[in-house]
Amino acid sequence: MPIEEEILPFFQWLPGGVAHWLLVVGSVAAAALVLGWLVSALRHGPGAALRRMSRVVADAYNDVAGMSSRRVGALAWLAVKESIRRWVIVVFGVFIVILLFAGFFLDPASTDPARLYVSFVLTSTMYLILLLALFLSTLSLPADIRNRTLHTVVTKPVRASEIVLGRMLGFAVVGTAMLACMGVLSYFFVLRGLSHTHEISPRELERLRASWQEQVAGGKPAAPVEIQTEPAHGHRHTLRVDPFRRDADRRELIPRGRVRTDAARGHWHEFSYRVPEGALRGDAPGPLEYAVGPPEDRFVARVPIYGKLRFKDPAGEPVERGVNVGGEWAYRSFIQGGTLASAIWTFEGVTPQRFPEDRFPDGIPIELTIEVFRTHMGDVTGEHIPPIHGSLMVGNPATGQQVEVRIFPAREHATDSQIIPRRLTRASDGRTFDLFEDLVDDGRLEVWIRCIEPGQYFGMAQADMYLRAREGWFAWNFVKGYLGIWMQMLLMIAFGVMFSTFLSGPVAMLATLGALIGGMATRFMGQLASGELPGGGPVEAFYRILTQENLISELPEGFFRDLIFMVDTALQGYYLRGMVEILPAFQWFDYSTWVAYGFNISGDLLASCILTLVGFVLPVFLAGYFFLKLREVAR
Amino acid sequence: MPPPEVVVETRNLTKVYRDFWGRRKVDALKALDLEIRRGEIFGLLGPNGSGKTTTMKLLLGLLFPTTGQALVFGRDATEVTKNERIGYLPEESYLYRFLNAEETLDFYGRLFNMPRKVRRQRVNELVTLVGLEKARKRQLKEYSKGMVRRIGLAQALINDPELILLDEPTSGLDPIGTRQIKDLILRLRDAGKTIILCSHLLADVQDVCDRIGILYQGELKELGRVDTLLTLRDVTEIRAGGLSDAAREEIKQVIERHGGAVVSVGNPTTTLEELFLGIIRQSEAHPGRRVRGVLAEQPGDGDGAVAAKP
Repeated sequence: MPIEEEILPFFQWLPGGVAHWLLVVGSVAAAALVLGWLVSALRHGPGAALRRMSRVVADAYNDVAGMSSRRVGALAWLAVKESIRRWVIVVFGVFIVILLFAGFFLDPASTDPARLYVSFVLTSTMYLILLLALFLSTLSLPADIRNRTLHTVVTKPVRASEIVLGRMLGFAVVGTAMLACMGVLSYFFVLRGLSHTHEISPRELERLRASWQEQVAGGKPAAPVEIQTEPAHGHRHTLRVDPFRRDADRRELIPRGRVRTDAARGHWHEFSYRVPEGALRGDAPGPLEYAVGPPEDRFVARVPIYGKLRFKDPAGEPVERGVNVGGEWAYRSFIQGGTLASAIWTFEGVTPQRFPEDRFPDGIPIELTIEVFRTHMGDVTGEHIPPIHGSLMVGNPATGQQVEVRIFPAREHATDSQIIPRRLTRASDGRTFDLFEDLVDDGRLEVWIRCIEPGQYFGMAQADMYLRAREGWFAWNFVKGYLGIWMQMLLMIAFGVMFSTFLSGPVAMLATLGALIGGMATRFMGQLASGELPGGGPVEAFYRILTQENLISELPEGFFRDLIFMVDTALQGYYLRGMVEILPAFQWFDYSTWVAYGFNISGDLLASCILTLVGFVLPVFLAGYFFLKLREVAR
Repeated sequence: MPPPEVVVETRNLTKVYRDFWGRRKVDALKALDLEIRRGEIFGLLGPNGSGKTTTMKLLLGLLFPTTGQALVFGRDATEVTKNERIGYLPEESYLYRFLNAEETLDFYGRLFNMPRKVRRQRVNELVTLVGLEKARKRQLKEYSKGMVRRIGLAQALINDPELILLDEPTSGLDPIGTRQIKDLILRLRDAGKTIILCSHLLADVQDVCDRIGILYQGELKELGRVDTLLTLRDVTEIRAGGLSDAAREEIKQVIERHGGAVVSVGNPTTTLEELFLGIIRQSEAHPGRRVRGVLAEQPGDGDGAVAAKP
């Protein structure tokens, strides 16, 4: 499964992102100023309210610009001490207990154990850390106000901005330390949990030895023997060992060597062998020596190169999108089989320097995921439902030259790996093409997919196909996954501290939890606000529940319907839209899918997320400052 | 000589507490006009709910005035920068009980942006001043009430403030501690500090304050110098030693002859504080011996006192 998100390059994202941020923050600030003026004007009159407002704004500038690092440091240190006193270490203990008992419910013999283990540690860490951040950030300041310990702080030359920032930093330090410990522990848990090796049975070894002995004895050259390992973690591997160097007229035994097993469950092992002196002697053969190494390539961080996707309709004419096969998820667009309908990706930067022959001797590796929509099941008399076949072609975007690479069976619900060979021969005229010289134009290469079975459809989206130019370092990708949790934690702390400046502890906790849940559902809320989802807005949906109406039937015309629509329009247009803009989309910072599915978290994504984080934390910090500044600390 | 600079000034300072719906609940302070000058010890007196603590909190910026203005060093009381010159000891020492004495003072020192070296020196001085050298590494949660009070006072002095606000500074202290605190207050005054004191213990206020204000139900009922306010101008007190009963009788007759009325005749008493401290002093001077005749050492033993009204 590829990552179904298009990540814009950072500098392409930046102008739009900043403009959007300015618009939202400016609107919220303007609304706050107007509201503040109205409240103040009611109490003190319009002129005095204006003077007070300008004083508050001037104070805010002084309070933020005049913050002292020593005071902020002291307050952060206090928050750390307080957190330690509150036994935050218990959270770490809970995490260790979870890991200790994880063996009961994590199955290393599952289809993709690496994904399972990585998802598990990232998700459990995320929830624990967010829970920790929620408790720490929301309970501290209200407790200080309740116990009046804040009185001795605010009667010092401490600015409200320093109190808010100090708390945020202190809790961030505690959370970061906890997260770092959890990350290290998780990494070794995953590595150790999935580490295994395989044995080779004596019977298989004997088969191997017998074959080699036969060849050494000068008999007929045998095909390389294929043996199987013993099962471990619910799978076994197959390997072919051929220890002979063959010249034109002789065979030479190489007594030591290493080969790779085949890939199973997303990894392979290195099989090393040694043929001791006399092991292949006919009269008194000795045992072969071997070793199977640890799993390799289990944890990957693919660095995909995505292309631009366009479609052609059944007549071969360009269209914006493919066919919609029904009310399914609209992410993928479908092409009709047995026609000229095609999905065409155009990749850029496809150069020999990027794909050097020594690293990519066979050609350019690509991976693709195809969703199949069947209008009929085909021949179902056999043991398995037959796969739907497609055609993979490459073409030169400038000259229009096209070569079919191969016909392939579509692997549904799985990612398929293919190689585009360096040299290709066109079946129709027998002409041979060099990939980089004939089919790549200025680094651009087109890859075409067609469904060749009439009546069936292939569904594809832009991120479904990518080139694998290089691999990232998994450990670093794992760290980046934790960086995502860290950013979510910071958001949680910022919101928690902000709410705690004017709400009591439990209420602040509920509000922060609401922000988290709302933030996780921003995508859904966005769809609801834009009217994409059937069933109408909140009031209409509520009405449908009460009257047991289905989602698509028309409501009876009349005043009541108009009223529902009017209220819903206001709710969807202003409230929900506003919520979507104000709440941070927590899922945007959740990289667990990337790490678990083995995709490198790109620098562009990280940079956008970090800037988004700053974009949220800054106004939330300012809001916290104003709430604390404008409230009476004592009662 | 010009009068000393006004350090604290309130103009028509009023505070009304309201409920959640904004309805008037309590008029905690009504139009308080007050001036406190540099170098004086000012006592705020009044029964519970009279507005003493509200006044303190308004001066500290912990509360915002409903109307009127509170100025400290000529600046609005809600301004943070004025706190650089202020020390505050709250009614109960609201301190972080998971810190020890050193950490507490160092923390508050950092809030004053004091460099590490200065902080260390100041912490040592203050720990010694309040007599907590042996307990400096103990967490405050292990402290007695009196010890917490002392460390509270130390934090109020960490910045060597010009204006010190003390809310019930002697509550929870034993008589020796009370005397030490009172002596310290007087020393601070002598060093040019301005002190605002709020206490229920009238004797403490009387001992140390130069001026007092008496609040009742949020209104200022009395304001002036302690010695002036406490002087009974229509009563004359004569103290003499070694008088016989006949001599006392003769004095009474003289008073009556001049149109005066004898209010009381008897032996004056000392204060309980003086008695207690005398016992402690003797016990320390002669350990293990029963204390006798403390009052004999007091001036006025065997003396007679006559108070008369003209």
